[in-house]
Amino acid sequence: MKISLEALKYYVDINVSVEELCDRMVMAGFEVEEIVDLSADMKNVVVGKIESIVPHPDSDHLQICQVNVGTEVQQIVTGAQNVFVGAYVPAALHDSYLPGGVHIKKGKLRGVESVGMLCSGEELNLKDCDYPGAEVNGIMIMDDKYPAGTDMREVLGLFDYVIDFKITANRPDCQCIIGVAKEISVVLGVPFRAPKTEYTTVGDDINNYVKIDVENYELCPRYVGRFVKNLRIKESPRWLKHCLTASGMRPINNIVDITNFVMLETGQPMHAFNYDQLEGKHIIVRNARAGESIQTLDEKKYDLNEEMLVIADGEKPSCLAGIMGGLESEIENDTKNLFLESAKFKRDNIRRTGRTLGIRTEASGRFEKGVDVMNVSYAMDRALSLICDLDAGDIVEGVIDRNEGLPEDRVITTTGKAICDLLGLEIPTDRMVEILSSLGLGTTLDGDTITCRVPSIRSDIEGKADLAEEVMRIYGYDHIVGTPMRGAVMRGRLLPQRLAENRIKAAMTALGAREIMTYSFISSKAIGMLGLAEDDERMKAVKILNPLGDEYSTMRTQLTTSMLTVLSTNYNRKIPAVRMYEVSKRFIPKSLPVTEQPYELPTMSIGLYGSDEDFFTLKGMVEKVFAEFGVTARYERAAEPYLHPGRQAVATVGGEAVAVLGEVHPDAVKAFSLAERTYIAEIKLDKLLTAEKPKVLYKALPKFPAVSRDFALLCDIDLPAGEIEETIRSAAGKLCEKVELFDLYIGSQIPEGMKSIAYNVSLRSADGTLDDEQIDRVVSKIVKKLAEIGANLRG
Amino acid sequence: MKEQLSQIRETALAAVAAAADSAAIEELRVRFLGKKGEVSAILKSLGQLSAEERPLMGQLANEVRADIEAAITEKKAALGKAALAARLESEKIDITMPAKAGTVGGLHPLNTVLADMIDIFQSMGFDVVDGPEVETDYYNFEALNIPADHPARDMQDTFYLGENILLRTQTSAAQIRTMKDRKPPIRIVCPGRVFRADEVDATHSPVFHQMEGLVVDKGITMCDLKGVLEQFAHEIYGPDTKVKFRPSFFPFTEPSVEVDVTCSECGGKGCRVCKGSGWIEILGAGMVHPNVLRACGIDPEEYSGFAFGIGLDRLTTTRYKISDIRLLFENDKRFLEQF
Repeated sequence: MKISLEALKYYVDINVSVEELCDRMVMAGFEVEEIVDLSADMKNVVVGKIESIVPHPDSDHLQICQVNVGTEVQQIVTGAQNVFVGAYVPAALHDSYLPGGVHIKKGKLRGVESVGMLCSGEELNLKDCDYPGAEVNGIMIMDDKYPAGTDMREVLGLFDYVIDFKITANRPDCQCIIGVAKEISVVLGVPFRAPKTEYTTVGDDINNYVKIDVENYELCPRYVGRFVKNLRIKESPRWLKHCLTASGMRPINNIVDITNFVMLETGQPMHAFNYDQLEGKHIIVRNARAGESIQTLDEKKYDLNEEMLVIADGEKPSCLAGIMGGLESEIENDTKNLFLESAKFKRDNIRRTGRTLGIRTEASGRFEKGVDVMNVSYAMDRALSLICDLDAGDIVEGVIDRNEGLPEDRVITTTGKAICDLLGLEIPTDRMVEILSSLGLGTTLDGDTITCRVPSIRSDIEGKADLAEEVMRIYGYDHIVGTPMRGAVMRGRLLPQRLAENRIKAAMTALGAREIMTYSFISSKAIGMLGLAEDDERMKAVKILNPLGDEYSTMRTQLTTSMLTVLSTNYNRKIPAVRMYEVSKRFIPKSLPVTEQPYELPTMSIGLYGSDEDFFTLKGMVEKVFAEFGVTARYERAAEPYLHPGRQAVATVGGEAVAVLGEVHPDAVKAFSLAERTYIAEIKLDKLLTAEKPKVLYKALPKFPAVSRDFALLCDIDLPAGEIEETIRSAAGKLCEKVELFDLYIGSQIPEGMKSIAYNVSLRSADGTLDDEQIDRVVSKIVKKLAEIGANLRG
Repeated sequence: MKEQLSQIRETALAAVAAAADSAAIEELRVRFLGKKGEVSAILKSLGQLSAEERPLMGQLANEVRADIEAAITEKKAALGKAALAARLESEKIDITMPAKAGTVGGLHPLNTVLADMIDIFQSMGFDVVDGPEVETDYYNFEALNIPADHPARDMQDTFYLGENILLRTQTSAAQIRTMKDRKPPIRIVCPGRVFRADEVDATHSPVFHQMEGLVVDKGITMCDLKGVLEQFAHEIYGPDTKVKFRPSFFPFTEPSVEVDVTCSECGGKGCRVCKGSGWIEILGAGMVHPNVLRACGIDPEEYSGFAFGIGLDRLTTTRYKISDIRLLFENDKRFLEQF
């Protein structure tokens, strides 16, 4: 809400600096977004009176003017042709500033000294509505109201500030000058001066001219109409125009300006109809009918639906209720008679209509925030008073006020103690009553009982908590003194899932991985880039109905896409090696389209590339995660389309798939623009969280020496190492301490289709030193079992 | 023979003293003390002496032997020490050469800050709870005293997934779930991800993070709220930090306040970071609205409480002076490694 400081002074004496005023308003709940000093843009520009003009000796278009600038006569050269002796013009003197930062200094024009510049309206950033004739081609010619030497900022009313107050959603009553001025009066402790609402009529009777029917009181709880005849349309006075422009509105003519000004002043939007354009002299507030349309003041045509409220005449919609008037009933310079509307419309209906049609106006914004039903008639009186003062027309006697009953003040009762208990302060009850009364809440005190009569304009005040806030924001929040945490000593706990995630993250940190965080939604195309089958669970994603764009449109069903995108970003920035992980959620719908909240399942991704990385470094990291849950996984070949067909695995625990890991398929490498060898794993943490971290129990340190034996084997190239290792373990039984692969060879030294694979096996007994006989027995059992799966000792 | 012995001793001691390395010493040991050595030869020849002379000469020979042995031992130790010193000298390295650093990973900066916050509130007895990111209209709005036509809905542009299903716009939704689940006294914080339809730029992100705090008990006051927030501000920004309440509006608290802390950059004097005001806005808070307590089945006449919501992203960017919020979600390794 932008308000001119000078305008505010009409309602309340402001005896502090603009900075102090703003600081104190902030502490009362009115944040200030901006303070604009209107005088800051212009400096050293004065009214000049041209005393004489001679042509420039060396130019056929320049003229040399002697200009009276108040204290002296100065010589200014101009190129404009519309100047004349005796004209009052804006003169920018030496070292002056014009809007837009233009700096004027004295100098010579074709050898003739000029101390400054005569200005056009455009150079002063003025339009005709700011000063009549400002848009003329040439120098701006002014009237003689201000003597030569007067600062142009005084002439233009620029010794003023515009303060932009941020009005919170609970205070629609402060979306206007009066609302803010009343708050200022309480904050500064000075009286509020209400504007005039008196006017005289010319008799006659409104009922001779118009009939009003409200068909839908739910959407229009109150509709007030007045009739003004013999309009005298003209330009508004300067104070009125200044007020409008300060608040960002464009002056048009006295009638339109009055309705706009009253809206700024009282917060109640008004609408002026050209009475003679109303068919049947009948105003009907009703829902639009199917197929109806309206052309509004902005000359656009809108098709209406039956949920939209219109103000219709006997024939058709004449105004989009609360949003914008119709072009046909617009007030123009030759309009004779006025039907003036002040009404309350239901806020969410206005919002919905505005959204549907894509229109938002000063009026609709105020209706959406909520206007006070009692303020409707006050604003009407104020508008009529201005019409009367400005002699804009003849007010006809009589008002038509359609409503289904008006609200009484609400009565709220509480106690001083209740308010003090909530705030934790001892505020004297008298002070509370004083504050509440000054805010316009009729407040009485009986013992400790406080009774407030709350007018409908303060719809935000419902109970003691609201009264406590009113008291507090005026009494001052700096009175609140912090008390340390009280009450029973409690121990703050973490949920098991967070504890598990903390363990995983610690493990990842130790392994040199960096945690990443990415958005929960991805682009709809990104899932397609993994090449998943249509019926894959991950393809059934929840869509955002109103996304910021396709890029952020789909709730992710996996973290792989996000990880690959991040790896790609890093790779394309020439970062040679990366180890990253993310712990987040995947969203799996219970049904599509969505009718209930989807499952949000804890998930982890790990992504790597770089010369030290391969499938097995990735596998090692995945196993560290499993270790944090105390589970051991089995690995089987998997068939993810985005992974290398020969270098991917699914890890299962208890028969259930908990992770997929592998090298990224060359097609996906290309699609995501990744390093040639990129590795990625996705782990379903939800499947692991049910596993308890195993209890750690001490095991006795070995008392007897271990024996180590190497097995160099030759076998089919496809015999999985996992199977060989398992065979050795089961053959060695409880003596098996460690089985370690230490060599793998495939090549010309051995037959084609075979591999050479070598293990070191460590055997140890807890009961004594193993003797040769025991060792030989185990070794030959291992050799025999290995032979059974086709792995034979190399000769 | 006596002269012979002292001759041997003299020769041996001189030779030992002159020996240059352990090989020379060994040679001397063999020459003098070996089985065929000079001292052994003397001892062997003792039998030829008279019974009176024999013990005297024997004793003398043993003394000579002991002297030579001692000299050899001492010389050996000296040579060993010198050899070690020489080796150590030859192994000298340039200690300014770069370290061989093992790689350690780390948390995302948002989670580093979150971990600090959790630590602070956990130590004050707050349980740390979680809530869903996809919420229903009821938990995100309705129960928080934001009915369907309330203008406050306009304060937050909401992403919808279905009718009445949305991405939560505030962790405050967790207040309701907690109050319906637990009986007072309640003391929780709920960190989490929230969403608003803000176009992405240097200071806006459609995805950001908050931590909601909620305390409900008998006799909780606004001074208690300030006390807890002061504690938090002291831990995060330093013990001299001051906390200021400014009146504001949130539908789910009444009275509502914006909370400012003295600017950690200038200590409250006013600088570019705080735009000259000396204060930085860090969170919104207030006393839980009676309508919210009622919606959760808690009698506002018996209990009161406070709630606050802290923006994690802002806290992180100001702590590390990160100029562009997009860096947090880009995950450039060179960025992440700085924390």
